[in-house]
Amino acid sequence: MSQISRRQAMALLGALGLGASAAACAGPGGSTKPAGASGPAAPSAGAVTGKVSFAHWRGEDKAVFDELIKRFAAKHDGVEVAQDISTSNDYNAQALQKLRGGSIGDAFATFRGAQFKNFTEAGIYTELKDSQAVKNYQKGLLSAGQNGDSQLGLPYQVVFPMPMANLDLFDKAGAEIAPKNWDAFLAMCEKLASAGVIPISWPGGDVGNGGQLFNCMIANNAPVDDMCAQIEQGKLKCTDDWFIKMLNQYKDLKPFVQPNATGTAVEPAQNLFSQGKAAMLATGSYHLAAVRGLGAKFPIDLVFPNTTSDGKGKYEGAYNATFILGVNSASKNQAAAAAWIDFLSEPENAGYYANQTAQHVSVDKVEYTNPDLKRLSPWLQKKTALAARFQFNNLDVRNAVEASATAVISGTSPEQAAAAAQKIVDERL
Amino acid sequence: MLASLSRRAILAIYAVIIIIPLTVVAFGSFKSTQELFAGPFSLPHSLAPDNFAEVVGGQNLGSSFMNSVIVTGISVPLTLFLASLAGYAVSRLKGFMSWAIFGFLVLGMAIPAQANMVPLYVLFGRLGLLDNLAGLILANVVSTLPIAVFILGGFMRTLPKELYEASSIDGSGPWKTYSSIALPLSAPSIAAAAIFLFVIHWNELLYPLLFIQTPGNRTLPLALLSFQGEFQTNYPLLFAGVILASLPVVVAYVFLQRYFVAGITAGASKG
Amino acid sequence: MSIHPGTAAKRKAPDSAAPANPAKGRRRSPTRVNPALYLFPLPAVAVIAFFLVMPTLQAFQYAITDWNGFSAAFNYVGVDNFVRAFTKDSLFTNALTNNLKFVLLVVIAQTVFSLVLALLLTKNSRGSILLRALFFFPTILSSVSVAFIWKFIYDPNFGLANSVLRTVGVDGGAYLGNDAQALYWVAVTQVWFHSGQMMVVYIAGLQAIPKELYEAAEMDGANKWQQFKSITWPFVAPATSIVVAYTTVQSFKAFDLILGIAGNPPKSSLDILSTRIYSTFANSEFGYAAAQSIIFMAMIALVTWLQRRLLRLTPKGD
Repeated sequence: MSQISRRQAMALLGALGLGASAAACAGPGGSTKPAGASGPAAPSAGAVTGKVSFAHWRGEDKAVFDELIKRFAAKHDGVEVAQDISTSNDYNAQALQKLRGGSIGDAFATFRGAQFKNFTEAGIYTELKDSQAVKNYQKGLLSAGQNGDSQLGLPYQVVFPMPMANLDLFDKAGAEIAPKNWDAFLAMCEKLASAGVIPISWPGGDVGNGGQLFNCMIANNAPVDDMCAQIEQGKLKCTDDWFIKMLNQYKDLKPFVQPNATGTAVEPAQNLFSQGKAAMLATGSYHLAAVRGLGAKFPIDLVFPNTTSDGKGKYEGAYNATFILGVNSASKNQAAAAAWIDFLSEPENAGYYANQTAQHVSVDKVEYTNPDLKRLSPWLQKKTALAARFQFNNLDVRNAVEASATAVISGTSPEQAAAAAQKIVDERL
Repeated sequence: MLASLSRRAILAIYAVIIIIPLTVVAFGSFKSTQELFAGPFSLPHSLAPDNFAEVVGGQNLGSSFMNSVIVTGISVPLTLFLASLAGYAVSRLKGFMSWAIFGFLVLGMAIPAQANMVPLYVLFGRLGLLDNLAGLILANVVSTLPIAVFILGGFMRTLPKELYEASSIDGSGPWKTYSSIALPLSAPSIAAAAIFLFVIHWNELLYPLLFIQTPGNRTLPLALLSFQGEFQTNYPLLFAGVILASLPVVVAYVFLQRYFVAGITAGASKG
Repeated sequence: MSIHPGTAAKRKAPDSAAPANPAKGRRRSPTRVNPALYLFPLPAVAVIAFFLVMPTLQAFQYAITDWNGFSAAFNYVGVDNFVRAFTKDSLFTNALTNNLKFVLLVVIAQTVFSLVLALLLTKNSRGSILLRALFFFPTILSSVSVAFIWKFIYDPNFGLANSVLRTVGVDGGAYLGNDAQALYWVAVTQVWFHSGQMMVVYIAGLQAIPKELYEAAEMDGANKWQQFKSITWPFVAPATSIVVAYTTVQSFKAFDLILGIAGNPPKSSLDILSTRIYSTFANSEFGYAAAQSIIFMAMIALVTWLQRRLLRLTPKGD
C-alpha cells in the first residue's frame, strides 16, 4: 500500500513539474506585436474578394448593414462580408482580445476614447490617411480617429448627446426651446412642470445613457476642453469650484426629473418620453429611431442645457463622433476590408445608412431624407463641444466622476459627492 | 390548523411570485415594447408570433440551438462519467490518498472563472480549442468537474462497505463493482447532479463569450445576449428568445424529475 | 474534430481497469485496495490539473506583474498589486464588502427558505409534485434572462413591483436605484433564482428518512418540533452542508446576474468581486486583475473553511 502511494506521489510530483514548466512557457507578455515596426502601415493592396469579417456592436443596425453588404457584394465578385456583432459592453471589454488574432474583425468599429487608445497602442489600426475613404469626410469631424499625424480610424457616426425635446409639449406649455442661460433653462422646466408633464426623463439607472447629460453640463462649466483628461491626470479635481458649481446645477434639476430617476433604466425612460409623459429625454439623438419605434409621433428637436449665467458660453451644444471604422492590421484580407470601408464612406452609402438608422454621419455631402435628421442637421454647423466623458481612459474614474452627479440627484450634497469621487480618482493617479 | 393555513399561505405567495413574472414574460413575448410598457400584465392583443419568427429567422437562433444541444449533450455525460469514476475511487480508497484526491478535485470549486480566464484563453488558443464546440465542451467539463465530484463523491462515500463485500467475494474487479453496484445505487445522486450540470452547461455564458468568435458557433445564451443593441433592449424579443431557449430544459426537467423521485425511494436501503 | 483529453481517457478507463484481477497472487482481504482503482480518478485529475490548476498558477505569475494584456513588455512588481488592492483601492474594498454582505444574505435566506419549501413539499402528492416543478423552474433559466426579468420587475416606472404597489397606494422607491437598498434587492433576485434548486437537494435528503421513525415518534408522543429536531435535522444535515457550500460559492460569483441587472460595469453599490475583476480586465490591467482574482479565491476558500468549521458542530446523518 505504501509502495503504491509513493509511486502515486512521484507521479503527481512529475505532473506538477511538467505543469510548472508548461506554466513557465505560457505567461504574461509575449503577445505578438502585429506587423508595422515603426508605426501603422497602410492596408495591403490586393483583390477585393474573399471573406471579410466586420466587427461592431450595433445590433440594431444589422439589417441596414445587410443591405449595404448586398450592394457591396454586387460590385465585387466573390466577396463575402459577415457581421460579427457583440453587445456594446462586451465589445468594449473584449474586442481587443478578439481582434488581435485577426480571425475576426478584418474591418471593425471602435468607441471613441479608451477603446480607440487601446487599439492604437496595440497596433491594431492600419494607416488610413491616404485612403480613398478619408477624402469623403468633413474635415472638422475626423479628430476622434486621429493619433498624431496618422488617421487611424474614420469616425462614422455623429450623435448629439443632448436632451431630445417633444416640440408639441413645448408649444403647449409655452416653454423656450433654446434657453440662453441657466436661469432660463430652469424657467423652461418650470413652465413644463406647470403644464402637467415631467420636464426631464432621465435614465439614472443606466450608466451609459444617464451619463450623456454630463457632456452637456460640463461643456461650459469647465475651464478647459480636455477637462476630463485632466481630472484623470490629477491636474483638475472634482472638488474644484467649477465642478461643484456643476453639481449644484444638477441639484437644481432634481425637482424636474421623474420620481425614482436613479432607478430608471433606459427603455422605461424612453417610454415616458414617447408616450408624452415627459417633455425631454436626457440621452441623445442616437435614440431617435428607438423613440419613434415606441410610437412617438411628435416633432423632435434638441435642447442644450445652457449652464452659463450670462449666455456667453463657448459652446452651443455637444456632439460625439463614434463608431470609428478601421482596418485590422492583423487581418489576412486587408484589401477587401479597406474596400468595404471605402464603400461605406461614399456619400450615397453613408446617406443610406444615415437615413435608415436615423443617425447623422460625418461623411460630407450626405442628403438627409429622414425628416428627423433633416430637422436636426443645423446642429452639425453649430459650435458644439466634443463629448467630454469619452476623454476618460479609465472606466472606473469615469464612473466615479459621473456617479457624483447621480448621487446629487439621489440627495447627497454636492460637496460630499465631489469628495467621494475625488477619492477614487486619487487612488488611480 | 394554523400550521396548515400558514403552509398554504407560504406556498401560495411564493407560487404567485414565480408565476406572475413568468406570465408577464410569456405574454410579453407576443407584444411590442410599447404594448408591454403600456400594460405588462394584460393579455397580448394578438398572438402573432412575430417576435418568435424574428428570433429564429432574423437572429438565427436555430443554429445556436443545435450548438447548445451538441455541447450540453456531450459535456454533461462526460462530466458525470469522470466525476463518478473519481467519486467511486475516493469512496473506496482509504486515508491520505482518498482525502488528497478528493480535496484536489473539489478545491476547483473555489476557483472562479475570472481567475484563469486569460491563461486559459492562451492555452486553448495553442491547443486549437478556440472558437469551436470542442473547446466549449472541455471548458464546461473543467468548470463543473469539482462540484460533480463533490456531489457524487459525497454520496458514494455514504454507501456502506458491506455492499461491496459481496462483490469482492465474487472476485469481480473494481470496474465491475463500480458499474454494477455503485453506479445503480448512486442513481438518485447522479440524477441530481445531472440536473445541476444540465442547467449550468445549457446556460453557460462566460466561456462562449470569451472563446466563441464566429456567430455560427454561438450557443443559446450568447445568441440571446446579442439581441441587445447599444443602449437598447428589446424586451419582447428577449422574452421570446428566453422562452425558446428554456423550452428544452423545462421538458428535460419534467422527464428527469419523475425518474428522480422514483429513484430515491427505490434502491438498496442504507443501514 | 480534435481529440481532447476527456475522450481519450474515457476510452482508456474501462479497458485498463477491467482485466486487473487482484486474485492473482495477492492476499484477498476486503481491506486491500485494488491498484487499478487509482486509475479511476486519473482522467478527472488530469483535466483539472491541466485546465484548471495550471492556468490558475499562471494567474499567480500574472499577478506579480503589471502586464496590461497586450503589450510585449511588462515589469515584475512583487506584491505591489496585493497591497494596492487592500490599501489604495476603495473600489476593491467596496466590492469586497458588498460581496461578503451579499453572500451572507443569500446563504442565510436561501438555505432557510429552500429548507422550508422542502419541508412543506416532502410528500409525493400531486399538488406537491406540481409545486416542486414550479418552484424549481426559475433555476433553469439563464442568468441573463433572470436579470432582465427582474430588471423589469424593479423598474420604478413601468415595472411589476411598483405597478402592484401603486394599486395600494405605496411607492416602492427606486429599488436598484436606491444605493442603500440595491444589494438587498439583487439578493432577493438571487434567492428567487436558486431556492428551487436547493429545495430539490433537501427533498432528496428528506425523502431518504424512513417513515417508520416518524410513526414511532408519533406514538411516543413527540410533537412536530421534537420530531424535527431529533429525526429530520440529523438526516438533513449533510444536505445542509452541500446547500450552504454551494450557495456560498454560487453567490460569491453571481457574475452574469449582476452584469445583466446592473450593467457593465455595475455601479459601486452593486459591484462585487467578480465584476470588479472583470472591470479591471477591461481597463487593461491584467496583472492587477490577476492579483484581485487571487484574493477572490482566497476569500472563497476562507469563507468556505469557516463554514465547514461551524457546520461540523451539527451531527451527521446516521
